[in-house]
Amino acid sequence: MNQFIIVIATIVLAPIAGGLLFGIDRRITARLQGRFGPPILQPFYDLFKLLGKDSIAVSNMQFVWIYAYLILMIASLLCLILQLDFLVLVFLLGFAGVALVLGAFSTKSPYSHFGANRELLQILAYEPVLLLLAIAIYAQNGTFLISEIVSHQQPLLLSLWPLFIAVLYVLTIKMRKSPFDISTSHHAHQEIVKGITIEYSGPFLALYELAEWYEIVLVLGIIVLFWANPLWIGLLIAFAAFLLELVVDNIAARMTARWMVRLSWSVGLTLGILNIAYLYIMKGVF
Amino acid sequence: MTDGMMAIAILLPVVAGFLILAIRNYFARGVVVVITAIVLIANSILFAAKGPLTYTPPEGFEWGTLISVLDYAILVLYLLLGFKLRNRLVLIFAATQIIPIVYFEFVMKAHMDLRPAFVVDHLAIVMTLIISIIGSLICIYAIRYMRDHEEHAHVDKSRQSRFLFWLVLFLGAMNGLVFANNLFWLYFFWEVTTLCSFMLISHDKTQIALENAARALWMNSTGGTAFILAIIYLYVTQGGASALSVQNIIGGGMHSAAMVLPVALLCFTGCTKAAQMPFQSWLLGAMVAPTPVSALLHSSTMVKAGVYLVLRLAPAYAGTLVSTAVAVVGAFTFFGASALAISQTTGKRVLAYSTIANLGLIIACAGINTPLSIAAAILLIIFHAISKGMLFLCAGAIEHQIWSREIEDMEGLAAKAPLVTLITAVGMLSMFLPPFGMVLGKWIALEAAYKVPLAAIFFVLASALTIVFWTKWLGRLLQVVPKLGWPLEKLSPSYSFPLWTLFIGIFVVGFGIGPIYHYFIASATSDVIPGISMIGSGWANVVLAGSSAVQTGAAVRGSFPVWVLYLVLGIALFLPMLFFGLKSTQLRQVYLCGEQTGGTDTDEWCAEADIKTKFILGGYYFQGTLGEKALNPWVNTVAILLLAIMIVCGVISK
Amino acid sequence: MGLIKKSRVKSPWIMHFDNSSCNGCDIEVLACLTPLYDVERFGIVNMGNPKHADVLLITGPVNMRTARVLKNLYEQVPNPKMVIAVGTCASSGGVFHNCYNVLGGVDKVIPVDVYVPGCAARPEAIIDGVVMALQGLTGQRHLWATCPHCKTEHEVTDQRWRI
Repeated sequence: MNQFIIVIATIVLAPIAGGLLFGIDRRITARLQGRFGPPILQPFYDLFKLLGKDSIAVSNMQFVWIYAYLILMIASLLCLILQLDFLVLVFLLGFAGVALVLGAFSTKSPYSHFGANRELLQILAYEPVLLLLAIAIYAQNGTFLISEIVSHQQPLLLSLWPLFIAVLYVLTIKMRKSPFDISTSHHAHQEIVKGITIEYSGPFLALYELAEWYEIVLVLGIIVLFWANPLWIGLLIAFAAFLLELVVDNIAARMTARWMVRLSWSVGLTLGILNIAYLYIMKGVF
Repeated sequence: MTDGMMAIAILLPVVAGFLILAIRNYFARGVVVVITAIVLIANSILFAAKGPLTYTPPEGFEWGTLISVLDYAILVLYLLLGFKLRNRLVLIFAATQIIPIVYFEFVMKAHMDLRPAFVVDHLAIVMTLIISIIGSLICIYAIRYMRDHEEHAHVDKSRQSRFLFWLVLFLGAMNGLVFANNLFWLYFFWEVTTLCSFMLISHDKTQIALENAARALWMNSTGGTAFILAIIYLYVTQGGASALSVQNIIGGGMHSAAMVLPVALLCFTGCTKAAQMPFQSWLLGAMVAPTPVSALLHSSTMVKAGVYLVLRLAPAYAGTLVSTAVAVVGAFTFFGASALAISQTTGKRVLAYSTIANLGLIIACAGINTPLSIAAAILLIIFHAISKGMLFLCAGAIEHQIWSREIEDMEGLAAKAPLVTLITAVGMLSMFLPPFGMVLGKWIALEAAYKVPLAAIFFVLASALTIVFWTKWLGRLLQVVPKLGWPLEKLSPSYSFPLWTLFIGIFVVGFGIGPIYHYFIASATSDVIPGISMIGSGWANVVLAGSSAVQTGAAVRGSFPVWVLYLVLGIALFLPMLFFGLKSTQLRQVYLCGEQTGGTDTDEWCAEADIKTKFILGGYYFQGTLGEKALNPWVNTVAILLLAIMIVCGVISK
Repeated sequence: MGLIKKSRVKSPWIMHFDNSSCNGCDIEVLACLTPLYDVERFGIVNMGNPKHADVLLITGPVNMRTARVLKNLYEQVPNPKMVIAVGTCASSGGVFHNCYNVLGGVDKVIPVDVYVPGCAARPEAIIDGVVMALQGLTGQRHLWATCPHCKTEHEVTDQRWRI
């Protein structure tokens, strides 16, 4: 019963938090650019406007995949909130990403395909880091369960700080911020004309927006795990990371997909491998 | 009773094969195949019901001599093939097998009979179920497939009987292989499978088919040579035929330190059969063969013989450097093959590389050598056989719809052939996405991999790479123009029955993984590695028990909520398909900067001077960085080094 | 106003399309997005493609090739949508209305809701045009606006509000 309440609360409250985070994002970005910026509730206005549009589509499969993206993102978030297995969370997140890519592939539209292929490269860039994080969590705690991370006295950040830096790259990619906003972007990047989301409109685009809100709560939640005890420090660190991403977004220009994969694999993997090697030497094998 | 079961498992396919060879009528041949299939499947279920047993053929007939004679016959045949095909390597590696055997039997006067000749334990039961059920389904598929194949290729003289003969004979050889306890008899069945592979790859008798068949032959023969050398080494150092008993080798009935080198050689043999790097080129070349060959031999069954050998011998090298070396060899292959798969433009080559990669994963799990990883290896064998077998059958069905094997030509298949696309899509999703069984196996492997951290890191990189090539291909299948109404295509029952059976099988076996673990895999694991099995109980959940050496005292290593995830999959993918339907008024054109001509389902646009041109979308293949020309030198060099290190570890582990 | 209607007013996403203008009006539209005028504070975002847009900002006179393109894009915009013709050329063809390839203003091809004349139209005028269009998005066809001359509210029956 308790779990049921937690599930319902997450499904209802997480998008509200996510929407507010996006609103804060646009506001702070605007201020950094010397503008006023929209009100913080702007993403909610966007969402309801989209829900009120006519429903048009280009293929039968579109709805299936974007809806699957939303459901799987919610499932991943619930995996985090219910403190299940971290590796299962990473696999579900991978499935969500694949669903989004397949939705973009499912129409014969050039820009959609550009976006889809680039999104696959993004997944290729961040997936190894998340899997290495899972293994490092096991090396540290002796288990993959998130409940053990939360109840543990020693925070993960102290022994997993190289991977924390690597996870910041993942956060940049997931939030679709420069220099990694390669497959689609919140701003009007005309290079690939909205990429992955180009053929979605109206209610389907609203589903995509909603899934993005769940996603940002999820990824910031993964950062919170680095200091889960006491929780408020973790939340502060996550918020600081969020603000850091906004600053990086406004400083950096968008780079190429290959550069992103190379950077993520060289820096991210090196940090991850060194971290795991250190833990292996210090703690031995379980 | 046991006589009958063993005879049906090993000899019936031989008899049925000769019968098929004699029949010229299409329907009669099909009936014989179907009856053989039913009997084999029933027999394997009987094995499962009866449980472990040992068996030695009755004294009256000199089985040992027969096997020796047939062995020589096969090796002489290889020599003749080497001459006929003018392939020096085939000749060399046939000679390196014949000469030691002749020396062994006639100069050393070795006696190679031992009791029991066959041991059927739980692992063998699992293997025979896979061989019988999936193998039989593929043979049924081959009935109609070969007829269409010959029609399309305008072959005058039908050779379908010959094809089905080798296919069915192969099933008997595989059964013999997994049951054999006598290493020399295992070697014989091993060589029969190599022979079947050669005959089936070269079936079309084109120049490229013969070349690739020869390559498969010599590469597998290097493994055969290592096999013979291992047998001789064991016989000489351990004294007597009892050294050739697999049960004795893994049971440690002899001084285990002196046994590590021959076991390392046998692992090398397994790696060649499983097309691990640097031997992957024979499997890729084998893709020119008709699809049932690829489905049966080169994904579900024959290559599994290679990993079966490595897995079976796991207790013999547990705790030695060879174990770590085997894990790294497998993990590196998993990584290298996944990277190479991204650059392939032919569907079957992607499937081949994916097969090699997953076999590498299984071998790595055997090398990691904990109860958890062995259980992962067995699970992966089962799920990979089902999913990959089905995917190859789908590739064949697609080829017979569009008469092309290229991924780029499979565009818009969802509109042309919705049923085949659905089955293929589910097959692909089942290879790399939760909650399907392959991911469950991969999950267990990742959770167990920390014992060999280098292997864990390769697993991580390879998992990320697999997502890319599967999603790219699946996207290509689903790429359609805005149009409603996709009529379902007609599939012959010879195609659709195996496809739908395997499709349902993926879900049934995946869903029921709890009870399947309890009834089959737990005991199969403990047959390989004696010890407490590490997976907790539960029908809906797979819970991995924490290691007893853990310092933090965590009792549970991880948990995978199987039924919940299937429910999530159902809600995410299948539920909307029931409720969502587009009306034609809702269709719009895709965004092409407004330049299209015509209605929503057009893919033509007005180019310069308003000329109507089709727009064509291509995929990303990265052949500059991930192509075979770019990567092969690197991966092959590293792989050769790793295999050499493995053998050296066998030598120094005294 | 209902939540959806209020959201439509608070979040009009625009798509800008240039028929064959001299780019003067396009530069003015671009200026609206810069920090000096900052239309994003009204929730206006420039989406590149029609499927995401509510308001179409069209510049330039329509010629035979862009007529086909314009129609194609207009059909891809989901309802409710508003079309704004920015600049004299988009309103009526401007100085080019006599050319052999020019069909005239945008309303020769698609229905226009708001005209913003000018050569080039000022950013303030463009913003005002978008605000007028917002009222159309809520379904109100009768616009109430403050007349700049007599400073009282009139009902505007003729939607061609000239600034």
